[in-house]
Amino acid sequence: MATEVALLLCAALLVTIIAAIFSKSISVTIIMLFYSSLILGVIFTIYQGVVIGVLHITMFAGAMSVMLLTVVLMTGESKLDIGNRTLAALLAAVTSLVVAASSYSLFSGAPSLPQSTPQQTEGTLAFVWMFRPWDLLILIIIFAAAMIGVVNLLSKEERA
Amino acid sequence: MITDQTVFATAATILFFLGLFSMFYSRNLLKTIISFQIVVFGANLALFSSGLGHVSNLMANTLVLFSIVVGAGVEAVGLALIVLVHRAYGTLDPWKIKRLRH
Repeated sequence: MATEVALLLCAALLVTIIAAIFSKSISVTIIMLFYSSLILGVIFTIYQGVVIGVLHITMFAGAMSVMLLTVVLMTGESKLDIGNRTLAALLAAVTSLVVAASSYSLFSGAPSLPQSTPQQTEGTLAFVWMFRPWDLLILIIIFAAAMIGVVNLLSKEERA
Repeated sequence: MITDQTVFATAATILFFLGLFSMFYSRNLLKTIISFQIVVFGANLALFSSGLGHVSNLMANTLVLFSIVVGAGVEAVGLALIVLVHRAYGTLDPWKIKRLRH
């Protein structure tokens, strides 16, 4: 089952990256890059790299996306067609996939949980290991909500 | 037999070369920075997959951490340069900028 999860997540990662590269609108590219950062963070978190997974999501899906969007707004390169149904369907599919993957980790245990659990749960980062799936799910929901706000901001920019 | 490590290593290779391809062929400096980020993603995934299958993958995790920090720093500097270039030339097309310089 673990390999199927890995395949599914890698497929989602590649689809979002290809959509980011070949999209004509820079705003769509940034949104797709945001989703690929989330998926990569989920991959790291599920496969024993909790700290780097959380750091990756915070750094790339959070800080870097905000910086990219700021530069896009400053340079006036944003052209977002908010009524694009294909984009909406793709975003919905990727969001469902990311939430499903993290829910799988939440309810049935990760494909490969840390083997050396006692050592890792004794350290200062014990809470990260204890509440790992919940942290991930909450982080994803927060970032997804932030992204909806950003898309709204960009669409207002387009109307103006 | 396909293992998780093989799947991630393959995906990392594809990501790396997709990023390189996009970096060379993009006609927008912002897209070049985004392509650089994709290359960093590929490198991170490759480093991470190299540590899978071992009981302790601390070395791989540390390298990924280092790569994340360096990648983010380089990208931040690149974005600052893009803003300056846009102010100076009014465009983000590298070919137009090259022509405007002469």
